[in-house]
Amino acid sequence: MSSPAERVLVVGAGMVGHRFVDELVRADRVGRFEIELIGQETYEPYNRILLSEVVAGRADLKALSLPLPDSERVQFRRGVAAVELDLAGRRVLLDDGTATPYDRLVLATGARAFVPPIEGLERAPRHVHVLRTLDDCRNIAARAMNAKHAVVLGAGLLGLEAACGLRRRGVPVTVIDVDDHVMATQLDGAPARMLAGRLRDLGVGVITSSSIAEVINAYDEIVAVRLADGRLLAADLMVVSCGVRADIRLAADAGLAVDRGILVDADQTTACAAVHAIGDCAQGLEPMTGLLAPGWRQAERLVAVMRGSTVEIAADAPRTPVREQVRLKATGVDLVTMGVRASQAGDDDRLVTLTDSRARRHVDLVIRDDTLVGVTCLGAPEISAALSVAFERRTPLPVDPLTMLVPEGRTEEPASPVRMPGATTVCRCSSVTKKDIVTAWEGGARTPDGVAAVTRAGTGCGGCREVVCGLVDWLNASDPDIATATGPPASRHVVARL
Amino acid sequence: MTLTPSEGGVSVTARDFSTNMGGLCQKGWTSAEVLSVGDRIITPLLRGASGALEPTSWEQALAFIAQRVQLLQTTYGVDSIGVFGGGGLTNEKAYQLGKFTRTVLRSRHIDYNGRFCMSSAAAAANRAFGIDRGLPFPLADAGSADAILLLGSNVADTMPPLVQHLARVRDRGGLLVVDPRRSATAALTADGAGVHLQPLPGTDLTLLLGLLHLVIAEGHADQAYLEARVTGWDDVRRSVALWWPERVADITGVAEPVLRRAVEVLAAAAPARGGRGAMVLSGRGVEQHTDGTDTVTAAINLALALGLPGRPASGYGCLTGQGNGQGGREHGQKADQLPGYRSIEDPAAREHVASVWGVDPATLPGKGVPAVQLLDKLGTEIRALFVHGTNLLVSAPDALAVRARVEALDLLVVCDFVPSETALLADVVLPVTQWAEEEGTMTSLEGRILRRRKAIDPPGQARSELSILADLARALGSTVRFQTAPAEVFDELARASAGGVADYSGLSHALLDEEVAGFHWPVPVGSTGSPRIFGRRFGHADGRARIVPVSPGSPHDDLRPEAPLYLVTGRVLAQYQSGAQTRRVPALGKSAPAAFVELHPALAGRYGIEDGDDVRVTSVRGSAVARARITSAIRPDTVFMPFHWSGAGMANAVTNSATDPISGMPEFKVCAVDIARVPAELLEEDVHELAR
Repeated sequence: MSSPAERVLVVGAGMVGHRFVDELVRADRVGRFEIELIGQETYEPYNRILLSEVVAGRADLKALSLPLPDSERVQFRRGVAAVELDLAGRRVLLDDGTATPYDRLVLATGARAFVPPIEGLERAPRHVHVLRTLDDCRNIAARAMNAKHAVVLGAGLLGLEAACGLRRRGVPVTVIDVDDHVMATQLDGAPARMLAGRLRDLGVGVITSSSIAEVINAYDEIVAVRLADGRLLAADLMVVSCGVRADIRLAADAGLAVDRGILVDADQTTACAAVHAIGDCAQGLEPMTGLLAPGWRQAERLVAVMRGSTVEIAADAPRTPVREQVRLKATGVDLVTMGVRASQAGDDDRLVTLTDSRARRHVDLVIRDDTLVGVTCLGAPEISAALSVAFERRTPLPVDPLTMLVPEGRTEEPASPVRMPGATTVCRCSSVTKKDIVTAWEGGARTPDGVAAVTRAGTGCGGCREVVCGLVDWLNASDPDIATATGPPASRHVVARL
Repeated sequence: MTLTPSEGGVSVTARDFSTNMGGLCQKGWTSAEVLSVGDRIITPLLRGASGALEPTSWEQALAFIAQRVQLLQTTYGVDSIGVFGGGGLTNEKAYQLGKFTRTVLRSRHIDYNGRFCMSSAAAAANRAFGIDRGLPFPLADAGSADAILLLGSNVADTMPPLVQHLARVRDRGGLLVVDPRRSATAALTADGAGVHLQPLPGTDLTLLLGLLHLVIAEGHADQAYLEARVTGWDDVRRSVALWWPERVADITGVAEPVLRRAVEVLAAAAPARGGRGAMVLSGRGVEQHTDGTDTVTAAINLALALGLPGRPASGYGCLTGQGNGQGGREHGQKADQLPGYRSIEDPAAREHVASVWGVDPATLPGKGVPAVQLLDKLGTEIRALFVHGTNLLVSAPDALAVRARVEALDLLVVCDFVPSETALLADVVLPVTQWAEEEGTMTSLEGRILRRRKAIDPPGQARSELSILADLARALGSTVRFQTAPAEVFDELARASAGGVADYSGLSHALLDEEVAGFHWPVPVGSTGSPRIFGRRFGHADGRARIVPVSPGSPHDDLRPEAPLYLVTGRVLAQYQSGAQTRRVPALGKSAPAAFVELHPALAGRYGIEDGDDVRVTSVRGSAVARARITSAIRPDTVFMPFHWSGAGMANAVTNSATDPISGMPEFKVCAVDIARVPAELLEEDVHELAR
C-alpha cells in the first residue's frame, strides 16, 4: 500500500462504536485505515446491556468491561467529548480545546434517556435516575442499599429489568406505565397481563394506564410521587425508563439532515459522503428500536462498505419491520419475543397459543409457510431457548407445532428387571440382553459373578451390575428347586415367562 | 488385559488396573478374534498384470517398492513420497516411521490419522500450558472430584470402563455433559446425577464463553491463582463481556437456568472455593470443528479461571481416542515434529535428533503439512503414499474425494493385517503384526508408558513394520542404521527424546517390565515419572499458563434453505474407527450390524420417515444411505450417523474436509445436510452407483 492511510474518526465509544472499531481493525490487515476513537465517558468501554444485571446484584462489574481497542491500531481517547463538527475543514472540535482531523467520520453518538416533563423534576431532586451509564447504575445500586420504596416509570424492557433488579435487592418497587399493558412495544395484551401477574408474584407492583404527574420533594430529595389519578406513592428512589432519544445535536448543529435521528442511506452514509452514522443515533432504513442487534449489523455493514464490497442491501431493504429478538433479563421471569406477534398474524398464518394462568405461562407461535416467524414465550425457560434457535436458524418444524411446546418427557422409566422384555439390552458394554442372562442362568450360572463369567455382563463400565443382580435374584427366587438343582434347568419353564 | 496363549489363538482376561478398574468393553473381550479373522493378510500382495492383488515374496514386494520410489523421487523430487501413519502404532513403530521418512525418504510429507483425533486439543494445550499430555493427572483422580464437565465426549460408548470413575461424581450430582445428543453418557446425568447441556451443533465455543462469563459475573474467578500462575487474564475477562447468558441461551438453545446451574456446580467443586475438585474434559465432539482449537482453548480458559489446573482432582484434560493416541503424537509422525515432542523447526532439536540418527541435521527436511492438506496433494505433488495403521478411504472427511485422489497416485503401499478398503486399492500390501504378536510400548491418555507384550507368533509371513522399514531402508540404499528389535528401538527413541517435552530417556523395556503400573512422562534419567505435572509450574519457560481470548466461528458448511439440518458423526460402542477390524468380529457385527441415521420423531414426521426406513443424508459433497433410528434423544434440528462403515452407509462421504487453521483438524462434527426417505425399490440401484 503506497497511498497514505485514511484517517477514520469514530465519535462515541459505546457498544456500537466499539464494535465498529473492532470489526474495522479485524478487516483491515494492511493498515489502510488509521483509526481514532473518542469516548465521552471516562470509563473503559463496557457492556451497557448488563447494567440492569449490576442493579440486580447479579453481575460483578468485572464482567462488563469490553476488550480495549488494539493500542497499536487505534488511538483511543476517553473522557473527551466532541463539541462541534467542522465538515468543511474535516475536523472535530473537542471539549479539551483541541481539534482532531478526519478523512472519514463515523458518528456513533448513541442516544440519551428520555425524561418526560414532570412537575417537580425541574428541581433535579436527588435519587431520581435514568439507567443509561455506569454512573447511573452505580447511583441506583448505592441508593438501593437503603431505599424503602422505589418507583420505576416505564414498563418497557429496561424498566422491568430495573424493577425486578431492585426487587431482587429487597427494595419494594412499583412500576408505572402510561400504556394499558406492560412492554407494549413487544407484547400483546394477553401475554402482557400474564407477565404483570408474574411480576406481582415476585413482589413488583404494576400500575398501567397511568403516569406520574408530580414528583414530590423534600430537602432536594424525592419522597413521593403523585400519579395522574391523584394517588400518592411514597418513593425514595425513582428510575425513569421512558425510552431514548437519538443524540443528534452535533450533526444537527453542523447542518446534516436529521429527523428523529441522523438521516443515512443504505450504506449508513449521511448527506455528506465523508460522514456516516451508526447505532442509536442513526435513522436509516431500519426502524429505530434502541436495541443492540441492529446497531451491530449497521457497524458490520459500514465496515463492509469501507472495504469496498457492494453490500446486498437491496434484498433486505424493503422488508417489513421485524420484531427484533428481545429477551428480558430478570431473576424469576423468562420472557423472549421475536418476529410476528399474535395480533399481527394473518389469515393464512398458523397461530398456536398456550396459556396457563396458574403457572404464568403464555406462548404464541406464528407459523407461516412451515416456518416459525413469530415467538412470544413467557414462563417456559425449558423451551424458550430452543424456540429462539428454531426462529433464527429456520430449521424444519414438526408437523404438529404443539410438540414444540412440550419439552421432552423422560420416556424411559427405570424398568424393573422382571418386567423388561427379553430383547432389552442389560449390559451395553458387552451387548448382553436379558434373554442372554436368562440363558446363562439356565446354563447353570446362579450368581452375578457366574453370569458375568459367561456373558461378560457388568465387566465394562459396571453400570448394569444392579440389574444383573436383580435378574439373578429374581431367577433364583422364581424356582428354588431349580436354583439348587445340579441337573440341567427346566429351560422351557423359564423361557415361557419372558 | 492379560493374554493367555490358547488353542488357535489367545484368550483375554481383564487385568485389574487403576485406569480401567478391571473393566473391558465388548471390543476388548472379543479382541482376540481380530488376530485370526478369516481374511487376514498373511503374504505380501502385489497388483499383478491382471489388475488383481496377488501373493508375492517379500523380496519382490520390497524391490518393487524401492524401484518405484527411486524412480518417482528422481522424477518429482524427494517430497513426492508421502507417509500416512496411525495412532494405533506402537511408540517404536511411530518413531521408526518418522525416522524413515526424514532420513531415508527425506520427504517432509508425513502426517497421521491422529490429526483427525487429537490435534485441536494438542494445539490448545500447547498454547495454554506449553505441553500437551492428554490428561496431566492420572484418570483415577476423577474419582475424587466433585464435578466433571465432559465436553463432546461419549465415554459410555467409547471407553466404557471409564464410567466407573464417574460413579462418585454422579453420586454428588456433579456430572455435566455437553452433547447435542442425549448420548449414553449424557443419560448418566439423569436422576440428579448432573446436568445435560444439549447445544445446537457448532455452538460449543459460544456455550463455553457463556459459562466463563457467568463465572466472572458471579464472582467465581480465582483471582489469586490467576495472578500467581496465569498470563493474559485481563484480555480474556474482557473478551467474554458480550456473552451474557440470555444471549448465549438464544444462540445455543441451552436454557439460561441450565447454564447457571452448570456454573454453580462447577464453581462449588473448585478447590479454591472449598470443593474437592473439578475437571473439564474434552472429546472429539467439541474438537473436530474449524474452530476446534479455540473451543478447547475456551474450555481451558474456564478451567484456569476457576483455578483448576494443578489443583487436587482438578484441571483440564483431553480424552484420547486411539490406543496409542498419545504416544503416536510424540515421536515424529506429526508433520512438524521430531521425537520427544520436539519441533522440527528448532535447530537445537534437529541437531540433537540428527546426532542420535547419525545424520547431518542439514539433511533433515522441514515441516510438512497436516493430514487433510497432505491428502489434497495426492496425485499431484505427492505421487506415492505409504499408509500405516489407518483406513483413510473410510475415515477421512469427504471420503469420496479422497478416494479419487488416492486412485490418482502412482504408487500406494499399505501396511495392514486385514484387507481394509484402503488396502484393496493398493499397489502393494504388506502384511504386518498386530498387538498380541509383537513387543512394544504404548502411551495411554494419562501419558503413562505401558508395555505391550507378545503372546503368540504372527501368522504366515506377517512381519513387524520395524523390520519392514529396516529392509526398505537398505533396499533404497540408505546407510542409516535401523534397529529391528523393539527394545533396542525403544532405547534409541529414549535417547532421541532426552531433554524433549515428552522425555522417555529414563525408561527401557526392562524397567517397564519391572514396574507394570507404567511411568507417566516426562521420565528423564533417574526419574520415577510424573503423574501430575502442573502442581507447581506449567510447561512454558516462565512456568505460567497462557490464557488466550477466543471468539466463535460458525460451521464452514452452515445451514441454508436447501440444507436445513446439521449432521453430526460419532461412534457406537461395538465398532472401532473405520470398522476394518471390528466389522470382522461376528459378535460385534451382531451388536452393531450397520450404519444408521438417528433422528428426532418431530423431524421424522416432517419428512415422512418411519423407524427402519432407508434415509438418504446429502451434503454438497456426497450422500449416504442408512436405516432410520428414531429417538427423542437427539435435537430435532440434527441427525447423527456413526462413521464406522463403508459403502452406501459411509458417513464420511457427507462430511466436510474444511480444517481448523491452527490444528489442521477437519470439521467432522458438523455440516449442513438435507435428508429424504429412500423408497425401497430405488435403493439397490443406488448402492450400485455408490459402490462404483
